[in-house]
Amino acid sequence: MRITATIASFAVLALASAGCERARYVETGSPEGIISVGDVDFQDILKASSGMLESLAETGVLKTAKQKPAQLIIGEIVNDTSSRFDVGELTYRMREQLVNSGQAAVVTTFGTSPEDKQAQEVLRREKFLKGETSEPLPDPDFSLTGKITQVKRTAGNTKQATYTFRLTLTNLRSGLEAWTKTVDMTKLGNKNAVGF
Amino acid sequence: MKPARIALTALLAAALAACGTVNTTSTRNRPADTAVDAKTRVNDLLQQIFLTAKEVRMSRTKGGPYEVQVDVENNGFEYRSFAYRFDWVDAAGNVLASQTSVWKSTNVPAGGATVIRAVAPTDDAADFRLQIRRADT
Repeated sequence: MRITATIASFAVLALASAGCERARYVETGSPEGIISVGDVDFQDILKASSGMLESLAETGVLKTAKQKPAQLIIGEIVNDTSSRFDVGELTYRMREQLVNSGQAAVVTTFGTSPEDKQAQEVLRREKFLKGETSEPLPDPDFSLTGKITQVKRTAGNTKQATYTFRLTLTNLRSGLEAWTKTVDMTKLGNKNAVGF
Repeated sequence: MKPARIALTALLAAALAACGTVNTTSTRNRPADTAVDAKTRVNDLLQQIFLTAKEVRMSRTKGGPYEVQVDVENNGFEYRSFAYRFDWVDAAGNVLASQTSVWKSTNVPAGGATVIRAVAPTDDAADFRLQIRRADT
């Protein structure tokens, strides 16, 4: 009688624990992560930034700049999808690699809406105080702009979404497009799922 | 008995050649000039049976860094999903920290092949390491 009760309680415990998954750490961007049909996932952003960086390295466009390393302005990158995320997740990863490896220097003090207003003020003041003998103001070679778009379709209960990341590098001396790249991601299913 | 066996074999073959199976045609009959020797440590026998790295090519890109291309064949009878990641190492064998070394998912139909590729983050990269993990389904 006691044995039967113990077995029964173990069975109940096993059934209860089978339905829940304990929280755990996974590698960021790992295929184990959650895959959302109707949203841009973090692994999609990592894949996009990787594809962009590979293309930049492959073409060697940054090596064609007048200045070494190439001076780069990060322009507007529009998120034209229904998925809410910060495009900085894409650009900061790219900047990290380009700047830290010495392939490019990002100008954060350029234009009417600079990324770092205080640094721009300090630079202007130095320029004014030292006059013509001062170091020249940043003279960027390229500007980076882009757009992220989506195309969504459904067939019955099945949903499909294609997210396209596109970036363009414009040569600021010629005004011409120096490099462009698109990275697509298509997801299909009827509900979000945990990866593998 | 014999026709029955032939019919059974044909039926089995038809069943195994499920929807999505592809036939591949290529003019390649020998390794490319840029093909390199590669060594695989097998931890997942099933993966090794169905997903095979057929050829590994490595060459310099126009921009300078190495590019690697790996032909992956699906010898199984099912559509296979898998994830892969390239890590790049310098001449001393140290892994180069890079935002390009991320897991990427792809899939290959039964009987088909796909090319997975990666470009090294800098000119300092001298070699690579590829990890592949298959989906359970």
